Amino acid sequence: MNKMTKKQRVLAALNRQPVDRPPVANPTSVATVEMMDLVDAPFPEACRSAELNARLAGTEITEFDFDAIAPYFSIIQESSAIGCEMQWEQKDNWPTVRMNNPIWKNSSDVKVPSNFLDHPDVKVITDSIRILRKEFGNDVPIIGKTMGPWTLAYHVFGVESFLLGTIDNPKETMDSLNKLLEFTYLFGEAQIDAGADVLTVPDHATGDLVSGQYYQKFLQDIHTEMAEKFSVPIILHICGRTVDRMPFIADTGLNAFHFDSKNSPQEAMDAVNNKIALVGNINNPETLYSKDVDDVKKEVFACLDAGVQIIAPECAIPLKTKSENLIAITEGITDWLAENDKND
Amino acid sequence: MFEHEGLLKEFQWVTKESEKKHIGESIAKTSLDMQEISFALIQGDNESVDKLTKENLDKGISANEILDNGLLNGMSIVGVKFRDNIIFVPEVLISARAMKAGMVHLEPILSASGIEPLGTILMGTVKGDLHDIGKNLCIMMLRGAGFTVHDLGVDTSPEDFEDAFGEHEPDIIGMSALLTTTMPNMGRTIQHFEDVGLREEVRLMVGGAPVTQEFADEMGADAYGESAVDAVDRAKEQVALLKDLKS
Repeated sequence: MNKMTKKQRVLAALNRQPVDRPPVANPTSVATVEMMDLVDAPFPEACRSAELNARLAGTEITEFDFDAIAPYFSIIQESSAIGCEMQWEQKDNWPTVRMNNPIWKNSSDVKVPSNFLDHPDVKVITDSIRILRKEFGNDVPIIGKTMGPWTLAYHVFGVESFLLGTIDNPKETMDSLNKLLEFTYLFGEAQIDAGADVLTVPDHATGDLVSGQYYQKFLQDIHTEMAEKFSVPIILHICGRTVDRMPFIADTGLNAFHFDSKNSPQEAMDAVNNKIALVGNINNPETLYSKDVDDVKKEVFACLDAGVQIIAPECAIPLKTKSENLIAITEGITDWLAENDKND
Repeated sequence: MFEHEGLLKEFQWVTKESEKKHIGESIAKTSLDMQEISFALIQGDNESVDKLTKENLDKGISANEILDNGLLNGMSIVGVKFRDNIIFVPEVLISARAMKAGMVHLEPILSASGIEPLGTILMGTVKGDLHDIGKNLCIMMLRGAGFTVHDLGVDTSPEDFEDAFGEHEPDIIGMSALLTTTMPNMGRTIQHFEDVGLREEVRLMVGGAPVTQEFADEMGADAYGESAVDAVDRAKEQVALLKDLKS
């Protein structure tokens, strides 16, 4: 097969089409402290300044030779713009929403601020995408990110209160999700307009919190609608053990699912039955953070042997992950191709 | 014997032989009134738990009996169902809310009784992590089992744990994390206790959805609680071990 550009490779993989080599791309984040120091773009400033954001995001290509750039590192930019209480943290900690002090109580409180897309913490991402498009041209895919309504609900209502509501008043939960969805579309479309080729939608109905039936009941239709409405490929991200909901996810029509190392690559592939591409699932806290290059490569091999379409860390990586372990992901793909004699 | 039909049905979710014996024997010796409380708690029916707890106290049943034979027996089944993925966090939360409805009546009586606690525990979600559901469930179970627990809340830095250690002199420090990105802060806290020379003074336990035994071992933790129910058993072991080590 002829050599593909990074963009062709990623888009083909997302559509489960043949590729010249399996791509590596993290749809969540590969920001690290090492890279922040290298390009002088530390957290939290790199989450709040478009120029610093783009500089740090670009290291995904310049230092790790990944196949895509994902400039939205965290999961809190919209929530800051909505008015949630924030904790911006320091260089070695993720910015986060103080969910113990929720801003809203129920669906009637959900309102999109008139200046939502002009808020600096939202604009930083759209401006960064424009900078990255100019710098890296059209052959490198940019993966934007817009939070799904379930994740936003944790931020604005508080996790405990929101989850209790799913039992006390499921209709109210649906009303809230449908209203919060407006943020997902607004921010997603703004990133597409700015030049994003793909969107990640984190929507944390995780296996550690809710059942597969919950996913089916509250989110499957919402994600099916997303697959129809967005004009670019969508990667859904849900952490934790999710194999029980993968068949539902596979039926949404979304392009890809970014899955956690709590699910083995082979069982995940079996669960989705070739209806959706899979992205994942190198373990973060044990393998990428604590182990060495050979351990990383072993996991890359397991993903490729199973047929996972895009190789990636399972989620946003710990900020103190060593660069050599990230580079080992790309090297692992090369080793696997050599071993399987597919590098023609 | 099981007199409550609904509770007997719930008990069928308990399939491990050791747990069937332990929980089954514990329930079988209780009255129908206590079994009603257990069942209401499993259903997350906070209004019934509130009403039944008050009624039983008024009838002269002791707070300890209601806690052990009513609320905690129910919570044991909830813990098993949660661990085995029969139920998930929302269902656990409504049971926890029901437990709280009962504890409102029992806590003042229990704390006035002057019973010696099993041990003292500090609990906190680690630095950078603001999730507290799992930690709060553990605290509820640990308090129910007879520990004194000081809740340090979320986003707890190694220095915060150290300061609270100085204040409360706990037997155990329990650290929780929900995010893979914040889990390494458990290791940093353990290292901090090494650095300030307090590591041998306290047992350090970890837990949280993404945490595994392997990760706990790598971080140098003394124990890993797989679930809130498991955390209680591990805490009892660690307190006994600490006493042995200190003697």
